[in-house]
Amino acid sequence: MSLVLSGVQKRFKDRDVLRGIDLEIPNGEIHALVGVSGSGKSTLLRIIAGLETHDSGTVTWEETPLDGVPPHLRQITMLSQSPLLFPHLTVGENVTLATPNRLSQEAETWLARVRLPGRYNAEIHELSGGEQQRVSFARALAASPRLILLDEPFTNLDPELKYELQRLIRDLVRELGLTALLVTHDREEAMLVADQVTLLEAGRVRASGTPQALAETESTFGDFVELDGKPYPSLHIEVTDSPTDDAVQLVRSFTRFGHRLGEYRRKQGDYVILPRHESFRDGETYYLRKRQGGI
Amino acid sequence: MSRSSLWLSLFVLALPFTGVAFLIHETVGFDWSELNDAAWRASLTVTLYVTIVSTVISLVIGTWLARSVYRRRSTWLASLLRWPMFVPHVAAAYLFYVLFSGGFPFYGLVEANERHHLVVILTYVWKEVPFVFLMVIGTYAQLNRGYVDMAKTLQLTPFEQFKVAEWPFLVKPLLDSFWVLVAFISFAYEVPALLGVTFPELLGVLAYERLTTGLFLNAYESYAVALIWTLFIFIGVIGSYAVTAKRRRRIERGVRR
Amino acid sequence: MSRLLVAGLILFPFIGLVLAFPARFDWDEAIGNTVVYVIVLGFVNVWLGIGTAWWLMFTDSKWKTPVEWFTFLPLFIPVLASMFGMYIALAPLGLVGTHIGVGLVLLVTTLPYSIRLAYNAMYVIGRPLLEQTLTLAPWSRFGLVLFPLLKETIRTIVLFSTVIVLSQFVLVQLMGAGLIPTVTTQIYQAYAGNDVSLALQNTWVLILVPVLLYVGLGGLFGIWIRLVKGRLQ
Repeated sequence: MSLVLSGVQKRFKDRDVLRGIDLEIPNGEIHALVGVSGSGKSTLLRIIAGLETHDSGTVTWEETPLDGVPPHLRQITMLSQSPLLFPHLTVGENVTLATPNRLSQEAETWLARVRLPGRYNAEIHELSGGEQQRVSFARALAASPRLILLDEPFTNLDPELKYELQRLIRDLVRELGLTALLVTHDREEAMLVADQVTLLEAGRVRASGTPQALAETESTFGDFVELDGKPYPSLHIEVTDSPTDDAVQLVRSFTRFGHRLGEYRRKQGDYVILPRHESFRDGETYYLRKRQGGI
Repeated sequence: MSRSSLWLSLFVLALPFTGVAFLIHETVGFDWSELNDAAWRASLTVTLYVTIVSTVISLVIGTWLARSVYRRRSTWLASLLRWPMFVPHVAAAYLFYVLFSGGFPFYGLVEANERHHLVVILTYVWKEVPFVFLMVIGTYAQLNRGYVDMAKTLQLTPFEQFKVAEWPFLVKPLLDSFWVLVAFISFAYEVPALLGVTFPELLGVLAYERLTTGLFLNAYESYAVALIWTLFIFIGVIGSYAVTAKRRRRIERGVRR
Repeated sequence: MSRLLVAGLILFPFIGLVLAFPARFDWDEAIGNTVVYVIVLGFVNVWLGIGTAWWLMFTDSKWKTPVEWFTFLPLFIPVLASMFGMYIALAPLGLVGTHIGVGLVLLVTTLPYSIRLAYNAMYVIGRPLLEQTLTLAPWSRFGLVLFPLLKETIRTIVLFSTVIVLSQFVLVQLMGAGLIPTVTTQIYQAYAGNDVSLALQNTWVLILVPVLLYVGLGGLFGIWIRLVKGRLQ
């Protein structure tokens, strides 16, 4: 085991933010922490980085406790929502700053790896948000960390840039054999990037497992649809034109990643997204039922 | 409404520039070699000494205090630093005079009027540290804490963290404060007249005395010195701003608040 | 412990004050002049400072940067030096020895600070929030929103201008041609002489004026805020 958290608790003023977190992340794993705002995930990340102290519990790396070790000696780097490139330095100088030997050639290599070759002398404001985030990532890697923390780094990017950066980070982290901990509220992001996922709810670990396993079993992680008073993963539901008790109206048709999908309005007034047959028409009524046979 | 305020302000603020223009006009035909006497030369030396020492100490302490308040969020310190601001400079000078005039509490350990101008420096430091604090704390209040956190996680030493996440943002307020203090201290009358010695006197004291006592001709000496000194400071201001302009512009464009 | 040390270092000069307290308090022309100058200049500094800072905040004019520099540069001109020049410039206009002349030069020394303080405060509040107030009529805008937002800044502007005014000896002596006594010019006579207790009593006055003004304004603004909140409910 590389990173081990045991019984970590944290209280801010009159609120318990973390209520005893247990987490184990082996070397080389990309682990995602998923939860809504206020679930304590960013606080946990800051505790691991050494930017906050916890009230009780232990944080150890390779069985060495990290308590009392200042952030700049932990070999743990962090990527934030905002790129936070130091504004008085050029793009390349920002990366050189983080390299152990302060060599610009090293920085150039890192910039090339994040697909920004030849941008060493560019000014920060000349880069787009996505490019700045890539520089920030290069900088975080250049510091030779043993663990990299990712605090919702894709939040401020538009969808296309987001996917591009998610793939880049996942591929590079795997290639370098790094251990990574990603914090996100986006289930899809966790599914795309992570090997293992932990769900945080109100400061506690709710469940842990592979993304696929959790999608099947956890209503806060997967897409679940209620049928006959019971939640089912949406993969287990089909939409047909054969009447059942559960009628829905197709409100909007669309396609995503080549799949035909539809937004349906249910009797209760809520909306649900499910597959759509090519014969379906907007405004018509269809019916939900549990999928027969296998998925 | 703000338009009328603007015009009035511009009119009022044009006066010191007009004053400088009149100084230039008055010193046309002035024999500048008259300034080459022992009194002015000694005055220049002691003025530079007092100004630089007071200014540098005030900047260092003021910045250090602002940093402490920012890091520890200590409101008590910020409140305490307001107290010297209620004391006019001339009153502060007198308070320090009393402290060092022989009785309690220093019992003549250092005299109020002595040639190293220690009490003058102390008075200015006491009064100017809160001013520097105010100028710098504004910058810290707007500083994105993320930069400091980022510097820590990039495994930089504490000194490097300061250098890369704080210092670039401090350059402007410190530059402003430096020149305001230099302009203020170097040509002042009230404080050094009370706490200084008869020779050498600081520039402002000597200039005022030559203007108001002695021969009418001496007035032109005072005008000439005032003009040179003002121009010297101006060149310093323009020069230092020009040198730092590129960096400051870069920071303004790249910073995320 | 370290807190005590720091507090001690900051407060120790006030020991001198403790040694004397005014036995009596005579109202004379000097105090009268001083109080009037302080109040009038406080008001004018707030009005012009905020007004000018507001223009700087909202203008898209190409003159913005030059004006900013223009308002800031006087801080780099030594007061005494500009005073020599202003004396030469204003003497032919008959302003030497007059209240207007003295008031004008005092305003010159205080206004740059006021504009700076006001601008910094507005910058921190942010243009978007200030823009919201433009939908209100001017008096409502100021009374209901801007004033409460800027009250601390206003107090600081008044404090700065007061303390600067109270510090001026040469300015008032030169421009006033010795005809306009203020507490500071009178005190200077006492300081230059050897009457320690008289000097200390006058020092009390010099410090009490800004303190009373600052505290008084705080109380006044507190009442105003309560009134505003009452009207909005």
